[in-house]
Amino acid sequence: MLEQYQKQYRNNKRQFVLINKEGTVIESDQQFLAIEAGTSIYDIHPFFECLPAIVDSDEKEISFFCVHLPIEENFFVVDIKFLVKKEHVLLIIDDFTEHYHSYQNVAQTRNESVIKSELTIIKNRELEERERFKNNFIQNFSHELRNPLTSIMAIVAILGDTALTDEQTKMLDFLKESNTNLRLMLEDTLSIGMIDSGKLKIQANEFDLHSLFKLMEFTYKAKAQKKGLQFLCRFDDKIPQYVIGDRLRLFQVITNLLDNAIKYTHTGSVSFNVLLNLKRANTVGLHFEVIDTGEGIAAEDKEQIFEGFNQIATGKKTNGTGLGLTIVKKLLALMGSKIVLQLHQDKGTTFYFDMLFKYPLFPENDRSLQENTKTIKSESSNQPKYKILLVEDDEHVQATLFKMLLKTNRFQINLAYDGAFVFQEVVNNNYDLIVMDVNLPNLNGIQITKLIRDFPFKNIKKIPIIGLTANVYKDQINQCLKAGMQKVLTKPFEQEEFLKVIYKTLK
Amino acid sequence: MQSSKKIVVLGHFGVGKTSLIRRFVTDAFSDNYKVTIGVHITKKTVEISAENNVSLILWDLEGTDDIASLRKSYLLGAHGIVFVFDVSRPSTFQDLNDNLAIIRSNLPYVPLMVVGNKADLVEEHALKNVIEAQEIAVDFIASAKTGKAVNALFLKLATLLTTNA
Ligand SMILES: Nc1nc2c(ncn2[C@@H]2O[C@H](COP(=O)(O)OP(=O)(O)OP(=O)(O)O)[C@@H](O)[C@H]2O)c(=O)[nH]1
Ligand SMILES: [Mg+2]
Repeated sequence: MLEQYQKQYRNNKRQFVLINKEGTVIESDQQFLAIEAGTSIYDIHPFFECLPAIVDSDEKEISFFCVHLPIEENFFVVDIKFLVKKEHVLLIIDDFTEHYHSYQNVAQTRNESVIKSELTIIKNRELEERERFKNNFIQNFSHELRNPLTSIMAIVAILGDTALTDEQTKMLDFLKESNTNLRLMLEDTLSIGMIDSGKLKIQANEFDLHSLFKLMEFTYKAKAQKKGLQFLCRFDDKIPQYVIGDRLRLFQVITNLLDNAIKYTHTGSVSFNVLLNLKRANTVGLHFEVIDTGEGIAAEDKEQIFEGFNQIATGKKTNGTGLGLTIVKKLLALMGSKIVLQLHQDKGTTFYFDMLFKYPLFPENDRSLQENTKTIKSESSNQPKYKILLVEDDEHVQATLFKMLLKTNRFQINLAYDGAFVFQEVVNNNYDLIVMDVNLPNLNGIQITKLIRDFPFKNIKKIPIIGLTANVYKDQINQCLKAGMQKVLTKPFEQEEFLKVIYKTLK
Repeated sequence: MQSSKKIVVLGHFGVGKTSLIRRFVTDAFSDNYKVTIGVHITKKTVEISAENNVSLILWDLEGTDDIASLRKSYLLGAHGIVFVFDVSRPSTFQDLNDNLAIIRSNLPYVPLMVVGNKADLVEEHALKNVIEAQEIAVDFIASAKTGKAVNALFLKLATLLTTNA
């Protein structure tokens, strides 16, 4: 060991060079640099052109470390000390070429890794930024599409009630179906945006699991038959009827899986099974599975199919946004579960997930929904007309809503575009109801509602208000309700839903 | 008459100091990164006008993210400074004004060029935003890779040095 070190350091060469203050070499011991007496030090290497500055400075001793001196064929890395004497300058030059070579390697590794990690961070940030931009764009865009779509759906509904030939009815059915698809795609896109931005909250309400299963069975049997597929369903009867959870999101997960299965299966069957994993005092663990005999998925695509906008990226052409499985994955994650994909040996795939639910021992057994739907049909003509003020700045939406209401022959309707008109109108008329877009110019619906609720006249102050919005965020809906709206409807909505809410509010 | 001027090129590591000098002196470029340790010194004569040449002694220092720790002897007698940063790596210019202040405290009167290198890696408008946001006074946006502004920046400095003298 020591010997090695000795060798290394003994080999170190040190050269002494004496020069005058003009740079002419007086003496040199020629250890390793060929510096001849009588020559100019400036001719050895441009480094030495720093001499005048050193001589001019007040310093008596100045050192330079790690100076690279390519001289003739040789490449030296040296430390150089300038000692300024009265008449001349003494240079002490140490050859550390090897030592500095090994230091170079260390610096190389360090610098490269620092730069690399820095660039990785920058790149990731850029990707996140792009992702955020994309999500925002898609969300805004989808919102914008809701208004025109609402109009189209309303007009189609109205058109359906007019006298049509068989062929026209058929075409209208097509139109309806396309609209529904378009709406579902919009909802998908918005759902993803909401999940990604953390705006979607999972609810915990009691709901009827059995009726959900029946609904699924009914809907998908029909869909499967239409495609010539078999639809098999199995539910464990030990599953409690009522559980606590988010019915809407569970529904969304199951329908996405089933739609997907039916879409990619061309012969054979699609099965939907719900099995009991465990049942304890008030907790039940369920296993949901959707099995198909479809074309399957390539093993290498297994992870990718859950990533957003995948279909679009791969350019595979099918109906829909290709967001279904992404939504499934994200929703399940929010609900504390995880989607699992199994590829069958021969044909087809299984998607499954397990989920825990709390269940009540004494369910509330809510029947109010069924009652509500009945009331719509019974409310028909020959009853007193209600006076409604419709506030909406988009002319198309206004026209369609107007028609929807007019058709029933139950309402007398006045229109307003702007907050300022609303106050005039409510003062001069006795309205039974205000239907108002939330996003109005100038004063928005929330502000108008607050002002109306602060009116000094009892009859005006209490007019029920229904808000209409293309915004699906809970925040805004809550703000509306807090401001004093009775109900907020999210665009687009069907005629039936619209009227149902109106009748219910008027009650 | 020919005079020689010491130019010190400094900045964070990997920003392209060596590459800028190589482009200027031998009009070459390499994508490989060989870390500079210590100092490399090269000389290039620049013709400012028919009867006026100047020799630039270019001191290519090892990169550092701490200008304060720079060895003072490297700066001794410098006639001009080129401070290089990498436009694609914010860490190389986020403390730029502090760094310049440190250099200034050592060399109050010498001309100082601030150069943003690797312009080829960043889009122009993004570059503007970055620079404005940092409130940096940049003299040249350059690229050793494409050669953009490389000669211009050294010529400008050389001209400043000869007219000042
Ligand atoms: N794209 C691009 N790359 C560059 C440019 N200039 C330098 N590089 C690259 O950046 C890396 C570092 O360049 P160098 O010139 O060695 O940087 P340096 O400032 O001398 O680095 P240190 O000596 O460690 O301080 C190398 O891989 C170069 O190829 C440029 O203008 N554009
Ligand atoms: Mg270098």
